Amino acid sequence: MDWAGWALFGIVATAALTASMITAQMVGLTRLDLPLVLGTIVTEDPDRARVAGFFMHLAAGQGFALGYAAVFAVLHRATWWIGALLGALHVAIALTVLLPLLPGVHPRMASHRSGPASTAVLEPPGLFGLNYGVQTPAVTAVVHVIYGVVLGLLLQAR
Amino acid sequence: MSGVPLAHQRSPAPITDYGLLSDTRTATLVGADGGIDWLCVPRFDGDPLFGRLVGGPAAGAFRVGPAAPAPVVERRYRRHSATLETTWTVDGARLTLTEAMVAELDGRLLPTTLLVRRLSAQGGPVDAVVEFDPRLGARHRRPRVHHRGRDLVCEWGSLAVSLGCAPNLTVEPGTPTALTVTPGDPVTIVLAIAHREPLVHVEPAAAWDLLVADEDRWRRWAADIDVSLPFRESVVRSLLTLRLLTYSPSQAPVAAPTTSLPEDPGGVRNWDYRYVWPRDASISVNAFLGVGKLDEANGFLAWLLHASRLQRPRLPALLTLDGRHVPRERELPGWRGYLDSVPVRVGNAAAEQHQLDGYGWVVDAAWVLVQAGHPLNSEMWRAVRGFADLVARRWPEPDAGIWEVREPVQHVHSTLMGWLAVDRALRIADTHRLSERQRRRWQRARDAIATDVRLRGFDPSQASYVRGYGSSELDAALLVLPLLGVDDPGSARVRGTVDAIRDRLSAGGPLLYRYPPGRDGLPGSEGAFLPCSFWLVQALAHTGRRAEAVELFRELLGRANSLGLYGEEVDPATGAFLGNYPQTLTHAALIQAALAIRDAPSADEGARE
Repeated sequence: MDWAGWALFGIVATAALTASMITAQMVGLTRLDLPLVLGTIVTEDPDRARVAGFFMHLAAGQGFALGYAAVFAVLHRATWWIGALLGALHVAIALTVLLPLLPGVHPRMASHRSGPASTAVLEPPGLFGLNYGVQTPAVTAVVHVIYGVVLGLLLQAR
Repeated sequence: MSGVPLAHQRSPAPITDYGLLSDTRTATLVGADGGIDWLCVPRFDGDPLFGRLVGGPAAGAFRVGPAAPAPVVERRYRRHSATLETTWTVDGARLTLTEAMVAELDGRLLPTTLLVRRLSAQGGPVDAVVEFDPRLGARHRRPRVHHRGRDLVCEWGSLAVSLGCAPNLTVEPGTPTALTVTPGDPVTIVLAIAHREPLVHVEPAAAWDLLVADEDRWRRWAADIDVSLPFRESVVRSLLTLRLLTYSPSQAPVAAPTTSLPEDPGGVRNWDYRYVWPRDASISVNAFLGVGKLDEANGFLAWLLHASRLQRPRLPALLTLDGRHVPRERELPGWRGYLDSVPVRVGNAAAEQHQLDGYGWVVDAAWVLVQAGHPLNSEMWRAVRGFADLVARRWPEPDAGIWEVREPVQHVHSTLMGWLAVDRALRIADTHRLSERQRRRWQRARDAIATDVRLRGFDPSQASYVRGYGSSELDAALLVLPLLGVDDPGSARVRGTVDAIRDRLSAGGPLLYRYPPGRDGLPGSEGAFLPCSFWLVQALAHTGRRAEAVELFRELLGRANSLGLYGEEVDPATGAFLGNYPQTLTHAALIQAALAIRDAPSADEGARE
């Protein structure tokens, strides 16, 4: 497996994903703020949460890159389109499994079952993250495909 | 089954007769006959499961009560709780219905929506009836029905409803079930609802325990409320109502849980209020903060600023419960409407309007939070700066105003609220980072608005601010003037405006019209607008007339229904509520009025209940 490539390009791909997501958020395409969502697992202060969340997201991205590198090694091929396909699979799992499960483990995220005692401040993402804006699934899909393409282009199939 | 009243034999109850049950995710309205005539699932703005209130008998209802019509001898919420108790006398005996929705699920395996209703008899056996007829959505769809164990299960695709009873009763949808309730042997009925999840069975006895635990939780919640509040019992009921109308998963307050209860019975002024107006949310921030409920205040504002993010710096006039765009307004064909008031509408076209006053309410709420010692985080401050920038740029433009009129004009109230937005943003900037250039721009805008509105929005011949530039009409929304600070509360302009509105928009007694009736381009008329009367209380308290404020407040408390609930409007002639019900804005205005009385300096009044 391309360990050196993984170590370097995992960060590059995650940075590309994060930058694309923040850009989409800033131009009003989605309210999904991944660093905030992740960072509020460890702190309530939104400003600190974004910093913590950014590094948590980098770490998560690096972890996922390991899976991409392993697939490339198994297939003995690393191309942009295989990366894009893996990105599509990745986002499908993120939107249909990871995001909807998040309210169950996130200490500061409400769920659709929250009651009056809930002091959670983050609204639940809902199916496909639609509570964060109708374009959220499209934006999330695009940035994950970008992530896959970057890894497909930069990682070696070994 | 003879003698059992069927749904179509019941005439529609006055709005005033309805009680509210809520789990802070959705709500039901229960008539004095024990009939649930309104319940949307799985949340406030979902499809009606029981829609008889505005859809007629074909839209379904769920009645539990005496078999034959019987007089109600007592109807009340159990003290400081959301549990409703209705007692009838039947042939010398008494039948009591105790009911509530379970709000706190606490991570336990429970249905997301759980309604518990218990009938008990005192003084002898009483004949009662259960009439269960669920119909889903705009087309009143009948369910697929089957029995699982002792439960009746009704299904419509991803939605399932189960009805369980103890002792066991065989209930069939659409067919009244007669029973006899004997003293010491209460009958407990449990309605569980599952949407896109498996049904969870709850034994009636366990469901009753959940109701009791929930009731204790509400009492503890109420116990935290400032004990020095004047008229505390009424204020606590309003706070509870406000909280019951707040959608817990997002902390967003729904304006009312109903659609199309008419402002003009038999007319077309029927709107869908099952959405969130930033104005209501902001007033609620003030209300909750004023009584020491910081979590609720924080939750409202955080949600609001987060929800409006996609359209920033534009502040939407209204949003869905999870911050999405409100659906296009449409009419429900075949829905007969409350007292034949058609059309019945879902969605709300006001979502597209430009309402300048909204910015003032929201930025003021942020300022109140800052004043209470809670600095805005960078995201919130960025949102507030965006709002202030937009107001500084767009304040001279016509808008739909607080009353959402169809033809935009330059409303004096909106312009004043624009001043408020910039002024409060500048005050927040004293403790938050702001560029000098931006500060100067806001200061210029604030001065320009004040000069302009004093010149063009004030009519010296009436000694009052008016509704719009070039208009001679008055507007009761201007009663917030003493709170703003654009003019001194003791000034002739402020006192003249308050007195003119009180005199010329009076609907008799403590009631006010919001503007001269019928002057809004819509056919038909409307009643007195209750929040305006509470704003008058607030205005009097802020202008050194506390005794008058207290007297007026007392009179207004007499206009609540027997449960302490208010609608949006009231018919001055009959006292009947009009419009969607119960109304967040009215209850929030009541709380603010009580807070204004509390905070008004006076030695002559000890307005405690």
